[in-house]
Amino acid sequence: MNGPSSKAVLFLLPAVALSTVVFLLPFGWLVYASFKVQGQGSLLMADGLSVANYMRLVTDSYFAAALWRTVWLSAVSTLLCLVIGLPVARLIATGSGRAKGLLLALMLVPLVCGALLPSLGMIHLLGSLGVVNGTLKMLGLIGGSIKLLGTTGGVILGMVQAFLPLMVLPLVNTLSRLPRDVEAAAASLGASPIRVWRRVILPLAMPGIVAGAVLVFCAGFTAFVTPQVLGQGKIATFGTVAYQQAALVLDWPFASTLAVVVLVAIGLTLILSAQFDRLTKRRRALA
Amino acid sequence: MKIARALQLVWTALAYLLLLAPILVLILASFDEAKFFRFPPQTLSLHWYEAAAASGEYRSALSASAIIALCAGTISILVGSLAAYALARFTFPGKRLVEAVLLAPLVLPLIVWAIALLQIYAALGMSGTLAGLVLAHAVITVPYTVRIMVSTFERIDPNLEAAAASLGAPPLAVARRITIPLAMPGLATSAAFSLLISFNDVIVSSLIAGARWITFPVRLFAQLRSEGVDPITLAIGATIIAVILLAAIVGEYALKWSRHL
Repeated sequence: MNGPSSKAVLFLLPAVALSTVVFLLPFGWLVYASFKVQGQGSLLMADGLSVANYMRLVTDSYFAAALWRTVWLSAVSTLLCLVIGLPVARLIATGSGRAKGLLLALMLVPLVCGALLPSLGMIHLLGSLGVVNGTLKMLGLIGGSIKLLGTTGGVILGMVQAFLPLMVLPLVNTLSRLPRDVEAAAASLGASPIRVWRRVILPLAMPGIVAGAVLVFCAGFTAFVTPQVLGQGKIATFGTVAYQQAALVLDWPFASTLAVVVLVAIGLTLILSAQFDRLTKRRRALA
Repeated sequence: MKIARALQLVWTALAYLLLLAPILVLILASFDEAKFFRFPPQTLSLHWYEAAAASGEYRSALSASAIIALCAGTISILVGSLAAYALARFTFPGKRLVEAVLLAPLVLPLIVWAIALLQIYAALGMSGTLAGLVLAHAVITVPYTVRIMVSTFERIDPNLEAAAASLGAPPLAVARRITIPLAMPGLATSAAFSLLISFNDVIVSSLIAGARWITFPVRLFAQLRSEGVDPITLAIGATIIAVILLAAIVGEYALKWSRHL
């Protein structure tokens, strides 16, 4: 036994054991359980393996609709986060000193508050007696109240609020590495601001855009607190459906199937984004 | 150019308004005396803060959260810093794999894992136990400790440890007198992150919680799912946010101050 190596094993063992046994092994169980079915009227699984859960997922329109809804809710949130976040990230990246530090710190606030407390605030922002409706009524713009809670729009707003930092932070990271005067250089050569964005900033920001988009899309796909609370149980997404099956219906094999589908979807997203990243890099190398 | 700059400023201000609005509204609503918040609020008072302080039900939820966070944080610091030390100081085959295994909870979706853990805990009779919750929380906080501590140890000169050892200090004394004091800022940051992650967790806890160890987020989520908002939770939520932000500011200054030493 050599010294440093055996020491390394000793130091790593508790953490690796914890992560492997408590974190990674359960994923294996999940795949197994997803091919089981629940016995009649019991929590125990019936004997034998089957693809019944997967068939149910494909044939039952409730789950297929939830899957589809989750994909497009996540896609729309990702797009909105990108549109809202790009100018913000550019401003932070080109800023300096205290203002930059303050803006970055404020960007972290929703992340450190967790998922639940901002949702609790959102309820009072969007509710029929909430801040948005109250303000509009005071301004005399509306007579009754607009329904925002329990709608798709409300859920998207909540997801954008919760996940905006996931888009902005990688963008700031990439944009900070651009030379500060690219804009001025391009403009001095006669490019309009829109052209500068389209031809210079956006292509150079692509790695950050992809990274942020992947983070927001995956967060949206697995979200369940925000859609549950702001959707008031009326907007079924994959996260809320999986949670219901696991915690309320107690059909664990089917919940496992839903969980496996989430894993596959996220795996696909990561593979696609890596391909896209490689493609843009190759194109830039050619150009 | 000037117009573009002004537009960018206004856009950024609106984005931050959206980002922070729910938290500001939560704080405002917690001071509304009415049982059902209505904007604009009629009378502001500390009524719900007093009610929160008097409520045994929420006190037990908060203490469950605190106990679980403290236990999980302790495990996370012990286990995570040891592993981080090995990753920062030694080279060995399979290092990349070990790192990937340790950081996996940052990447893989927790809701998927929680659905699996729920079944395994049920089979082992661990669902709803303190040990089960603490283990689950320790696992999701370890990657934060590992990340922070690897970069902390990498910034500590190994020659300091070697020098102490060559002067005859036994390994434990080197750790106690040299490594741990130098790693203190990193350890404090890891502890803060571990407590935060554990304290905020809804996903894992609400799936594996039993009847005895109900954390504050689990209680709040159950309430939002069924009965609607109890204004007491607004007061507690606003307090939690205030504590988190205060801790972040104090931590930031303490870190700056420690670098001047």
